[in-house]
Amino acid sequence: MPAADVVVIGAGLAGLACAHALAQRGARVVVLAKGMATTHWTAGSIDVAAPAGAASAREGVRLLAARRDHPYAILQRHVDDAFGALRDMLAAQGLAQVGDLDSPIRTVPTGIGATRPVSIVPEAQADALPEWGADEGLIVCGIEGFKDFWPTAVAASLARPQVWARADSTAAISSPATVVATTAVLPRVADRHNLTALHLARAFDDPVWRELALDAIANAVDRVMPRKPARVGLPAVLGLRDHAAVLDKIRDRVGTPVFEMPLVPPSIPGLRMFDALRRGLLAAGGRIQIGESVARFETRGRHVTLIATPAAVREFAVRAGAVVLATGGIAGGGLVARSDGTFEEAVLGLPVEAPRRDDWFAVDPFDANGHPLEAAGVQVDDELRPVDRKGKAIFENVRVVGANLAGQRWIRERCGDGVALASAHRAALSLSHDGLATGRPLPSTADSTGAAVAAGAGGEWRDR
Amino acid sequence: MTAEVAALTLIPGEAPVVGLSADQCLKCNVCNTVCPVARVTDRFPGPKYVGPQAQRFREAASLPVQAVGLEKAPSADHSVDYCSGCGFCTTACPAGVKIAEMNNRARATIRANRRAPLRDRLLGEPDLLGRIGVPLAPLANAVLRNRILRWIGQVVVGVHRFAPLPMFARRTFRSQAGGMGARLAPASPSEDLPPPDKAVVYFHGCAANYYEPRVAQAALAVLARNGIQAIVPPQECCGLPLISNGLYEQARRRARRNLDVLAAYARRGYRIVLTSTSCGHTLKAEYAEMLDLDDEDARVVAESTWDIMELLRELHDDGRLDTSFGRLGEELPYHAPCQLRSHGIGLPALDLFALVPGLTATDLDHDCCGVAGTYGLKKEKYDIAMAVGADLFERIRATDATEVACDSETCRWQIEAATGRRLRHPVEILADAYAAGEEATTTTAASS
Repeated sequence: MPAADVVVIGAGLAGLACAHALAQRGARVVVLAKGMATTHWTAGSIDVAAPAGAASAREGVRLLAARRDHPYAILQRHVDDAFGALRDMLAAQGLAQVGDLDSPIRTVPTGIGATRPVSIVPEAQADALPEWGADEGLIVCGIEGFKDFWPTAVAASLARPQVWARADSTAAISSPATVVATTAVLPRVADRHNLTALHLARAFDDPVWRELALDAIANAVDRVMPRKPARVGLPAVLGLRDHAAVLDKIRDRVGTPVFEMPLVPPSIPGLRMFDALRRGLLAAGGRIQIGESVARFETRGRHVTLIATPAAVREFAVRAGAVVLATGGIAGGGLVARSDGTFEEAVLGLPVEAPRRDDWFAVDPFDANGHPLEAAGVQVDDELRPVDRKGKAIFENVRVVGANLAGQRWIRERCGDGVALASAHRAALSLSHDGLATGRPLPSTADSTGAAVAAGAGGEWRDR
Repeated sequence: MTAEVAALTLIPGEAPVVGLSADQCLKCNVCNTVCPVARVTDRFPGPKYVGPQAQRFREAASLPVQAVGLEKAPSADHSVDYCSGCGFCTTACPAGVKIAEMNNRARATIRANRRAPLRDRLLGEPDLLGRIGVPLAPLANAVLRNRILRWIGQVVVGVHRFAPLPMFARRTFRSQAGGMGARLAPASPSEDLPPPDKAVVYFHGCAANYYEPRVAQAALAVLARNGIQAIVPPQECCGLPLISNGLYEQARRRARRNLDVLAAYARRGYRIVLTSTSCGHTLKAEYAEMLDLDDEDARVVAESTWDIMELLRELHDDGRLDTSFGRLGEELPYHAPCQLRSHGIGLPALDLFALVPGLTATDLDHDCCGVAGTYGLKKEKYDIAMAVGADLFERIRATDATEVACDSETCRWQIEAATGRRLRHPVEILADAYAAGEEATTTTAASS
């Protein structure tokens, strides 16, 4: 059966970043994932930390790291390097990011007329970041026939200054002086019976169509252009593979700052990021295999030695020197609820720190204090090894990264990407340091085997 | 996941594991982002729309609680026929929905209600064509090359005049199998066969038998080099072309006859080895998943089925592969076919190419060449198929490579027609490498 120095389970930001870091260090890395991950659902920004009261991501990390149960308590010192590595990798794949850990956190508008607090965004969203001038307006430009972006509704929402306020913030609100809507009629798309962000993004990859479309957008903006300065917000559909070429031209053609507003899934900025991460991993020599859940694993002492997916028949088993669990949280399927009201980690059946079922429900689902289940996850030691209730490492050669780490309130704290990157970086360093990722011979026999929790059997680690 | 979905079965015998997996759909649209067909045409709205979204209408009769008195509708509309069956949607789905399988079944339901076009019945039975074509190979190939006849074929039959149809071999593989070192064997295993650790059953499929005996020859040589003899019992088309044309009943009859023979060998411990990834996937998964052949015979055959490259990699991982490959100073672009990905076994060809000195194989990393079996041969789908593969062809044309490797025969024919490069099965490359090793040894011996 095939062997790898490290098997990474999960193909989201954490898994791919960790696999890339390991592959760059010369490890044979295989990424196994049951399907595409939450990258396809995200807005494209790098959310490192934006808890209430933080003016920058760095300040946010510091605030969160002060809490002993937060992953940043052990990951804080890795955030800089981890972010730098990701920024360089994305840039090498033609996806430049703007902003860094010290950039001010600002609210930028989304395609449903809300705002998000961000400080690090892809270049296409950069023009949304600067504070709004006293007389500066926003032109929301829709596309005729595109149902996922309604410029009049978006403009009506964004015209209310309070929409631009950050939650729990008393700072002065920076919002556009005026917000107007316009609609561009792009060639050959308005009468398509089903026009999605994907259709539009792919159309923008066509250099001929792109020219006509940019003219149409410039015309639509001209019709409502005030005498005063203005920026233009467009739905995030400006190309997939040739996105950089669209960006190169659009500001000149429209004659004013232009930014993309992220939409409902599938997210084009998220797709661009996944594609860049995937290409970067392949270029570094890593492998990625998507389509099957982990069904079984083998252990020898306190090492996981084999990871098996079902495949079409038999199983596809990979002997592993080390394993990185990047399976996501509740949304990503890395944590699963059991009928007795407890949670379990989906692959190895690790114990999960989570409230009991009676506490899963909040009266106000949008409570500013967050959802009670947000912080659910796997407890780890300083090396990111999963630990039991007494704090003792369950497996020596397993590292837990990303959204399945306990203690992060990723919705409220906006820390999901930063935790993913810093833990990926930490795990890669830790495995390299322990010699677990350097091609040493692998043990060929196991003394125990377990079925993955998501595949139907219960976990064994709860009582150890 | 499977267990959960199975628990939702309301009417036994309705095979709802595929159908009811639609309940797992989150409507996240990830499947639509990976669909190669929806990428290039509006005729196919995308796997989510024709799959889990339309499924609620199709499954109406099997969900009596929700749909009292509703008749079971075959499909919300017929755009599902533009699904090429590549299967990327199923692999990409984070929720475990069997999207491609659902769509294939929907097409079969549509077909079950009316007579299939002659074209689809013809394309569905490549062995029938082969039996007629091979004895008449010079004539038949001249017909295939004749532009006027192909044009007529497009108008009358509906096979696109530029569609990459393979040329008939002058002799079938079976007629020369003995000379290539294979052992033609009866329908039930006889006592004098070599034991299962020294022999495998070779399922050649239609491609190696009627069109590309050279692939079979290479496979036999590589197996022989590793001390394994190929046993070739009677067999017929696996039925996949019928399945993808929605003709399940005919496919089931063929599958049953194959299973009768293969199960007897599988029970004796013989592995069934294929050089066709798509026939291999059919034996492994589609007999059960599409044709509902979920009995002991189907199970033992599925579990004994190996793709040739999968088997060779397994031998290597167990330290039993002869790795005395000679040097092949070659740039070799490699395309992994859709059907191979559905095996869920990684990319064994690339693992093995890495063992050949001087061979620089690169993964072309493109989703689908477009042809998807018989899909791209049809007049209304040819342009779609060419558009799906356009970037792949472009990438190949941009290289200096004279050869390109690909595991699946229909992909090879499509890529060869589109790029003019020579397309080869990975096992042919390994056979070359063994031959190069022998030459080197002979030369060294001669000069010393």
